[in-house]
Amino acid sequence: MKDEIRAMQEAMERHGYIAEAPLATVVHLALSMRKPLLVEGDAGVGKTELAKVLAALLNTELIRLQCYEGLDVATALYEWNYPRQLLHLKLSEGSGQSPAELEHTIFGRDYLLERPLLRAITRKDGPPVLLVDEVDRADDAFEAFLLEVLSDFQVTIPELGTVKAGHVPYVVLTSNRTREIGDALRRRCLYLYVEHPSLEKEVRILQARVPGASQALAEAIGRFMQRLRARPLSRMPGVAETLDWARALVSLHRDRLDADTVHATLGCIIKDSADATDLDQPEIAALLSESAA
Amino acid sequence: MISAAPAHDLVTHVARFAAALRAQGLAVGLHEEMDGTDALTHLDLLNRDAVRWGVRSAFRVRRRDWDLFDRTFDRLWSRRQGSDHPPVDDPLVPPEPHRPSGRTLGSHRTPLVTRVAEREVAEGAAPGFSPDAQLRRKPFDRCTAQDLVAMERLLRRMPPPGLPTRRSRRLVPVPARGAVDLRRSLRRAVGTCGDVLSLARRAHPLEEPRYVVLCDTSGSMDPHARFLLAFLLSLRRVVKRVEVFVFNTSLTRLTPFLSSGRLHARLERLAAEVPDWSGGTRIGGCLADFAARYLEAVVDARTDVVILSDGLDGGDPAVLAQALGAIRRRARRVTWLNPLLGDERYRPEARGMAAALPFLDRFAPAHNLESLERAFARAAS
Repeated sequence: MKDEIRAMQEAMERHGYIAEAPLATVVHLALSMRKPLLVEGDAGVGKTELAKVLAALLNTELIRLQCYEGLDVATALYEWNYPRQLLHLKLSEGSGQSPAELEHTIFGRDYLLERPLLRAITRKDGPPVLLVDEVDRADDAFEAFLLEVLSDFQVTIPELGTVKAGHVPYVVLTSNRTREIGDALRRRCLYLYVEHPSLEKEVRILQARVPGASQALAEAIGRFMQRLRARPLSRMPGVAETLDWARALVSLHRDRLDADTVHATLGCIIKDSADATDLDQPEIAALLSESAA
Repeated sequence: MISAAPAHDLVTHVARFAAALRAQGLAVGLHEEMDGTDALTHLDLLNRDAVRWGVRSAFRVRRRDWDLFDRTFDRLWSRRQGSDHPPVDDPLVPPEPHRPSGRTLGSHRTPLVTRVAEREVAEGAAPGFSPDAQLRRKPFDRCTAQDLVAMERLLRRMPPPGLPTRRSRRLVPVPARGAVDLRRSLRRAVGTCGDVLSLARRAHPLEEPRYVVLCDTSGSMDPHARFLLAFLLSLRRVVKRVEVFVFNTSLTRLTPFLSSGRLHARLERLAAEVPDWSGGTRIGGCLADFAARYLEAVVDARTDVVILSDGLDGGDPAVLAQALGAIRRRARRVTWLNPLLGDERYRPEARGMAAALPFLDRFAPAHNLESLERAFARAAS
């Protein structure tokens, strides 16, 4: 079964995601155990990307629910199409329909707007990948609701009755740990912590995702990023920043790093004013010579 | 070979491994064991790394506990993999954490348990009973044991007044005066053929404040610590979300011990739980420890962090500044309550206190009950 993990790594790499064996093992488990996958890690290490690759890998739809504080059932699950309902009511005035009949009509499936969670449950052609992004941003009340959906894969709409999942979706939850996820939700999931990539992995990611970057440039960027992350930064740049930076350098036609170039494009990787002030030209030059060594 | 062993052996092995992790403080329960066993059926048991990663994921081991997990894994899931039976001889009992025994809180000046005094007060024959208002303003370091008991009764009667609140981002139905709730309005209109006769409304409800309180219990805080803790315990009765930590030379999370029982019994228990009560201080180091271990879990953008300390720190001010900076970035507000500030001659010139000032939203006295109540009432307003 070792091969399955290797096969998973290769398949993910075909879709542009460089996965180390631990990550591939957990993804393999999540797919075969059909358990939701809770992915934690610093911003920009590729948590959301993992769900996208999974969807591509399984050749299915990615349904994304972005969480935020105050997220409620109407945004996450379903909403009634009020304008349509009103229109229908107005048009059927005088048609002699009883209120009960009317209600039955306008609270039917045709008037229901499916939001991500409901869509993930009711999708007809095979299970989709449901990405619940930044679940730590939603509040505890929503987390409790999510827990209910994830344990039964069915939801109850008062006007319609219970809707059960035709296909149980593959679920990926991501968290930036702005608050701790509740134990009950954690217990439903397999856990994956994504770390900042090693030098070798980062270079491979660069080569896979930014084909315009030469081997030498990719390696220089990778080494610089490794050095940079070793510093006490208040906001650690992730792979997302590395990729942005590489694309910026490619579009500026730079094929090597020097202090001026790095300083000019620092905004791609450093997103904190204190960090930017710390990293003045001499500091950058020092980092560059360290990383070239 | 494990893969060839009967299934119940696998279950036993996972259970033993889980128990070993539990013994070391990891939250690995029955759910984790079940998922761990399930995961193993999907993995090549001879691939030790895959087993490690799979079980780690199924046990939902947080990143910070990975070292502990790996060490235990290496011990329990190791060379003897090839034998028919998993290793059984390793009891894996961790050393008992050091607990000072028989120590009472604030033993220097304020006896911790004053049963006699309490009985007197409870029977209404309290000598030296102060009227409420006077008691509220009495500096902690001049309070007697009787005062404390009276103060506890006062706190029981009156929750800390005027706790601040904020509006939730969530919308809930309200009878009037809010944004129009189309969904419920329409639902009502169905009965009248779509004529909306009355509008349903919704608004953001008030939300309780959340506090994380870090209380200094070192020797220099001795005259105050007991009263501060008594106040915190009473605060916890009215605000559900209070996390309490105490520190001196090391940091202890008190929240689990704050749940039940009479106040003095609880304080007694606290004193037993906290190593080095009334000892020295290491404010910077303890706050750094808090930032590393608990910050992410207990502090979010809605949380008020309150530090109760005299700021007499012997450590490196830079450590303190860095830790406070990390807390400041994450918390809604950082308040430092200093009992010494009640003394008009006091200037916050101690090195630690001076390093902390730039990171504080509020710096206020906490030398008597009144000042404490005022500080908490304003902490998040």
